[in-house]
Amino acid sequence: MLRAKKRPALLAWAALSAASASRLAAAPERLTRPIASYEISCRLDAEQKTVSGTEILTWTNTTNHPTSTLRLHLYLNAFRNTLSTFWREHGGRRGSRTIPESWGSVEITRLALSSDGTDLLPAMRFIAPDDGNPDDRTVAEIPLPRPALPGDTVAVALDFVSRVPRVSTRTGYKGDFFLVAQWFPKVGVLEDSGWNCHQFHSNSEFFADFGDYDVTIDAPVRYKGKIGATGAVVSERETSEGRVVTRFRQESVHDFAWTADPDYRVLKDVFREPGIGDVEIKLFLQPEHLAQASRHFRAAKAGLSGYGRVLGSYPYATLTIVDPPWGAIGAGGMEYPTFITAGTHLIAPASLQSPEGVTVHEFGHQYFYGLLASNEFEEPWLDEGFNSYMTARVLKHEYGDARSYLEVFGVRFPLGIDVRLPLDENRRYFAHAADDPLGLPSWKYLDRDEYGALVYSKTALALATIERIVGTPAMDKALRLYSERWRFRHPKTSDFIACLSEITGRDTRWLFDRTFFSSGTVDYAVVQATSEPARFPRGLFDKDGKLVPAAQAGLPRPRGYDTKVVVRREGEVALPVDVLLRFEGGHTYRSNWDGEARWKSFRVASGPRLVDAVVDPEEKILLDADRTNNGRRPDPDPRAASRWTARAVFWLENLFDFATVAW
Amino acid sequence: MTGPSALACFGRGLRASLSKPYLGLSLWLIQLLLAAALILPVSNSLHANLDHSTIADRMVGVPDYGWWETFRRTHPDILGTFGEAAEGLLSVRGIEPDQFDGLRGIGASAFSLALLAIFLHAFALGGVLGALREPSSSLVTFGREGMRRLPAFLAFTLAAFAGAAAAYRWIYVESGRALEPRVQELSTEGTALAVTGLRLLALLVALTAIKLAVDAVRTVWVARPDLPPVSRFLMGLGGAIARPRRLFGVLLGYVLLTAGLYVVWIVLDPPAGGEARFALVPLILTQQVFVFVRCLVKVGYYAGISEALTRTPSPEYSYVAAGEPAAASGETVAHDAALDGPAGGVETDAKEEGPAA
Repeated sequence: MLRAKKRPALLAWAALSAASASRLAAAPERLTRPIASYEISCRLDAEQKTVSGTEILTWTNTTNHPTSTLRLHLYLNAFRNTLSTFWREHGGRRGSRTIPESWGSVEITRLALSSDGTDLLPAMRFIAPDDGNPDDRTVAEIPLPRPALPGDTVAVALDFVSRVPRVSTRTGYKGDFFLVAQWFPKVGVLEDSGWNCHQFHSNSEFFADFGDYDVTIDAPVRYKGKIGATGAVVSERETSEGRVVTRFRQESVHDFAWTADPDYRVLKDVFREPGIGDVEIKLFLQPEHLAQASRHFRAAKAGLSGYGRVLGSYPYATLTIVDPPWGAIGAGGMEYPTFITAGTHLIAPASLQSPEGVTVHEFGHQYFYGLLASNEFEEPWLDEGFNSYMTARVLKHEYGDARSYLEVFGVRFPLGIDVRLPLDENRRYFAHAADDPLGLPSWKYLDRDEYGALVYSKTALALATIERIVGTPAMDKALRLYSERWRFRHPKTSDFIACLSEITGRDTRWLFDRTFFSSGTVDYAVVQATSEPARFPRGLFDKDGKLVPAAQAGLPRPRGYDTKVVVRREGEVALPVDVLLRFEGGHTYRSNWDGEARWKSFRVASGPRLVDAVVDPEEKILLDADRTNNGRRPDPDPRAASRWTARAVFWLENLFDFATVAW
Repeated sequence: MTGPSALACFGRGLRASLSKPYLGLSLWLIQLLLAAALILPVSNSLHANLDHSTIADRMVGVPDYGWWETFRRTHPDILGTFGEAAEGLLSVRGIEPDQFDGLRGIGASAFSLALLAIFLHAFALGGVLGALREPSSSLVTFGREGMRRLPAFLAFTLAAFAGAAAAYRWIYVESGRALEPRVQELSTEGTALAVTGLRLLALLVALTAIKLAVDAVRTVWVARPDLPPVSRFLMGLGGAIARPRRLFGVLLGYVLLTAGLYVVWIVLDPPAGGEARFALVPLILTQQVFVFVRCLVKVGYYAGISEALTRTPSPEYSYVAAGEPAAASGETVAHDAALDGPAGGVETDAKEEGPAA
């Protein structure tokens, strides 16, 4: 709310956009006021793997303070050499993949004020606001000849040459395939506290202001009809030089990416759903994946429908889905405004939900990354984590649970074991549960594994837990409120918390403190569950004024069973949790425990025999690191263990036979 | 010269195996005893984790992904990186030696027992091949022959094991490393899968060659005790080289039949007896019958290899002790004796190698 007061103009535009559920094509009004707009004309040299262009950046100071500088992201310089911050952070590896030493760069060859032609290039310098790395050239600072006052608009013209690296991370080429992303000099975000313009990091993604993009791409003619990009095609024409010139335009977005591949098979479909709108879906598919076209379309439509119902309609007219070719997996699974890259395999059993999962997930970024545009450098969970949570919901609704698989020599075989969404898909969190809290900037996590486990999976599980605590209707209303109130306005975590508190009518900050911003683990366990026949009392008892043994005291014979259950909080984090005791005869006892103490015991005297005791019986607390101790019964049931022992021994016998088979 | 087809050899081998079921029984027992070493650790771990847990209710018949993940994470001392090592072995990249470093507890024990299984396999093969050549053999013969051949067979087995490991490393893993950048530049995943398939095929060819060579050497080693060791060894290699199609045919029959058994097993997969507490017994019986059948097929393979190498028209590989009928395998003794018996014979070892009088 504080930032909203400081940016009244933006608030007005956001209110306007929230009130409008119409698509861009159908509505004359704009979605938001442009802050950073670009007109770019570029030429692809497919052989040299370069894109040279001219750019006119029109930027408006919407803060309450003047600024005497501009800051530009030069993301491709992350690929310039091994001294860049990006390269130092990943060390040449991304997961199990080795990042090829294929270098990329973006060079500004001309930089001038559009108004009077003042040359700004000589004063440009590279800065490293995050780590002070003098060899990193992903952020440039340009002094302005005169300060840009609040409300002022500055237009600069620049020429640049971008050298595209071999695909490894989010951008690049492979053969004739190009995913041209983070490719042009792009202005940072000016806030009242100053420029928010981070370096390119290995883990983090992006943050930018909204604007209009008008981009003309000049490419060899073999790419005719095979170029996809953010926004819609305005025109396409062939030139006498054997080139094709394609112009794209999209307003109210904060980035622009494009792809070209002569091998693409371009397919189209239309999504129509009352209340959500019409969207043209363009699918740029590799020929060997043609049989999976309908699966991509179905997933995209499931995303449009599922996200739209909760978060409001997708406001753009187009959605472009890109299927990167073999060997360019690093280009897959990325999101840009109205433009996503998915990725699939030649052999892709439907039960594994791939490419469905990645398609739905990347589409979901159109909301959290695209429309809400939170700061992915500083609060990456607001995009990746929130989106992972929503992805699981949409996938489960559309397809049900996924199946686990075993990969054998590059081919994935379904194992037929259910992977329950969202819990099982995000289990990587548990291995890092005690490592770090959320709340760190994206480049401050220990490594990529921890980043993924916390930013994606912990957030998803934490939100699913909160949903189960406050109820799905309340969660949906909070998400809707958050989405509509903060569209185009760069919300922070506190803004979502405020929305949830507003909807539930109570302060929910504590929930986030204990889930998001705690590095403690959650683990509840039933550590004791006994149910013994009630015993006849022993000792001395009063009868007729005398102390007599129990047998002579005329005491009623005890009936039923004495039951004792002890529930323990094994983890550091306390969350409210239900405890359910089930007894023979269908009797149950349910208690809601605040979970604050280390343990809580339940005793039932002379009651029915206990069948079992379960803490969190509805599995609301998805952050619980060990669910195998959540339920306990007084009497052992050896069936499962015996069967799996038999199976283990059987397969061990076969293993020993395999070990001897060749020699 | 033409001889019996590979199919016929394998068929005769299976018949020989069925006629001496104690050989399959011996192999089954060896495997069961090896696995038995882990029964208690596995059983205790599972019972401790599941018996009182309500999560076991849904695990009687089907596995639970969440339980498995939790079990591995919360009890790293039980398996260690056994799962990762198995995945690495079957991956496109292949397993790296350091992936064995993380094995713990049952996982590490299973790995060690697999090595012990290889040792025992050397013993068992000596027993199987020796017993197959005697018309009226018994478990005693199996044990005696196994111990007699153990030093030589252990050397063959270890050499073959080293050869197989080297083939995996230098044919599959190293080719994968060398080709990885180029594979990434291929135009389609289908082509990349084909390259992986070719690497796999090259590995299988190498493993097949190693297996057939070592099995041929073992067979001749047993069949021709009249020759010096070097001659037996070279003759075994020569036999593998001279009759690759027939030997490969027997191996192919063995592999296909075994694969068929696994397909039947996986498709039918006795569903743990549903919810009935005592259906565990039929489950265990079915499993052990399956392993026993597999062992019979395995014995059949070795008998088939013996048939392929020592039957007519290759009398040079058959051995008949002086003045006594030949001992090829099972019911073919008389036939072999009539056609394959070399003139004369060798006096040394005749008493030990020849059939019982």
